[in-house]
Amino acid sequence: MDLRPPSQRVDPLARWMWTVSDALRLLPVLVALWVISGYWHWFEVPGWLWVVVVVAMAAYVALVPQWRYLVHRWEVTETAVYTQTGWWARERRIAPMSRVQTVDHRVGAVERMFGLATVRITTASSAGALTIEGLDQVQAIDLVEELTRIADTVPGDAT
Amino acid sequence: MDVYDQLLGWQRLDRRMLLVQPVREVGRFLPALIGVALFGRSAEGGGLWGIFGVVVPVALGLMRYATTGYRITESRVEVRHGLVSKRVVAAPLDRVRTVDLTASPIHRLLGLVTLRIGTGQAGDKNEERLALDGLAGPAAAELRTRLLQGSVSAAEPDGSPVADEQPEVALRLDLGWVRFAPLTTSGIVIAGAALGVIAQSFRSLEILPSVDLDRAERLGAFALIVLVVLGILVTFCVLAVVGYLLTNFGFVLTRRRDDDTWHLRRGLLTTRETTLDHARISGVSIGEPLGLRLARGGRLSAIVTGLSKKQQGSAVLVPPAPRAEVDRVAVAVLGISGPVADPLVRHHDRARRRRWTRALLGAGLVSVALLLLAYAASWWLAALVPVALLVGAGLAHDRWRALGHALVDGYLVSRSGSLNRRREVLHTSSVIGWTFTSTYPQRRAGLVDLTATTAGGRQRVTVLDVEEGLSCELANEATPGLLEPFLA
Repeated sequence: MDLRPPSQRVDPLARWMWTVSDALRLLPVLVALWVISGYWHWFEVPGWLWVVVVVAMAAYVALVPQWRYLVHRWEVTETAVYTQTGWWARERRIAPMSRVQTVDHRVGAVERMFGLATVRITTASSAGALTIEGLDQVQAIDLVEELTRIADTVPGDAT
Repeated sequence: MDVYDQLLGWQRLDRRMLLVQPVREVGRFLPALIGVALFGRSAEGGGLWGIFGVVVPVALGLMRYATTGYRITESRVEVRHGLVSKRVVAAPLDRVRTVDLTASPIHRLLGLVTLRIGTGQAGDKNEERLALDGLAGPAAAELRTRLLQGSVSAAEPDGSPVADEQPEVALRLDLGWVRFAPLTTSGIVIAGAALGVIAQSFRSLEILPSVDLDRAERLGAFALIVLVVLGILVTFCVLAVVGYLLTNFGFVLTRRRDDDTWHLRRGLLTTRETTLDHARISGVSIGEPLGLRLARGGRLSAIVTGLSKKQQGSAVLVPPAPRAEVDRVAVAVLGISGPVADPLVRHHDRARRRRWTRALLGAGLVSVALLLLAYAASWWLAALVPVALLVGAGLAHDRWRALGHALVDGYLVSRSGSLNRRREVLHTSSVIGWTFTSTYPQRRAGLVDLTATTAGGRQRVTVLDVEEGLSCELANEATPGLLEPFLA
């Protein structure tokens, strides 16, 4: 007995959205390193270390978003929500519709640049939230409506 | 609060709570006063600020008394606060999970208690506001009964509570159990905190321990070190025991059959009473940290639906105690012995290999760091490398021995960990959803961490490093139908 991956991929633009947001996240590290060594002269960072750091970060920004895109998938049925996220560590989450408490729709600054959105589904367990990143904005709103509709028709008080 | 409020059923806190703040303030100045009396000097100048520090809390207490009110309607409990912006926090009675009564020494002196209502809105700020600080003892007991009757009758509409049945005692503290106190991490924390307080009060009284250097020299360095270590150990044990007694003195766990609740009372100076609705107990967690395990001890807490991680204190069922007692209470709470006593399914050999690689990788990193340090500073440090490797191997072996899971009598059982080993038992009806996590090496080994999410306790029960196929079978059997659409 084995789980198959969820059926739906996220929007292909998500790759570039992750590339930008990962780059923005790593930039402060590079700046801090430069300020400490080149500007304040606290210690000398040798040339080879600069090369290593820059190459490692570039590799991360170039590869990880692509890898993530291969992993991230989702699926909604009448009875359950199923997501797959991560890259090095893969996480598959399943929550029954009868236990869905809230459905959020969020658009971050970088996501807006690419016309993407995030849908987050919470349950009564604080360890059990499902997040689908990198959905097309229109598709995301449709998904929220669909989820709300199904969750309403399924009996149960979600606790 | 006026006539209309009273007509609407709003009630106030007890008038005696006005004395709590002044008494507490006097208590805070007591060490300084003793200092003045004994040594004829004061620690710090108070002056105007001192008066300010007394007046403001007292005024705040007065305001709180004037503006706090509570009432129980047919279906809800309401608490209101605030002078300018009035706020009413309401909770449905059938959402009441636990009721906590705590009384600090000052409260006990005045015959007061603080009542806290646990409604289990995970991460909600309302939790703090559903607290009534300063009710008279009998009034609080009555309020608790009404609160829990509401929740129980809502759970079982036909269950008419029978009054005054003798509660059966499930566990009573044996003073011999203080031997477990120094073996727990909370013991270490309590002892550390107590040491801090003692050091602080010594400093504020300006007492400095005097050291006679000549005598120290005559004793010799080795004897001195042994003495210091022994002294620290003894102090530490004493403090841990004191901490254990402060929290757990008079620990009594009882069960009332009439309204189906568990009732817990403990505390030496500050007493704490918790009432748990049996229907909300979805499982138990048997804790066996390394220290307790070596002394054949353990502890037990309940997984209560709706109680978040922060309120774990409300769910303690057995303090550090002999393992036999822990098991006995766990069986009593669950009603069956299988999930507590039955042997667990061992994991695949690949899981054992993973424990070993992970532990030895950690130990290896520590060893490299030690060798670098040894090269830079002192060669002595290299002697610690075998120790690090041995500890790593020990951890790997012990963690492997812990691994196990089972599905017994409708309960999902999982055990893992070494330093903080836990056997968690969760009823499958309380499983909300599933998370399958696997890192790249885990996928290569065909293993996965299976997590059942739930609305109580630590919010999750994880089965570590179980084979992929088995994880699906386990989840599918525990929650029939949920995984079906997604099976390959």
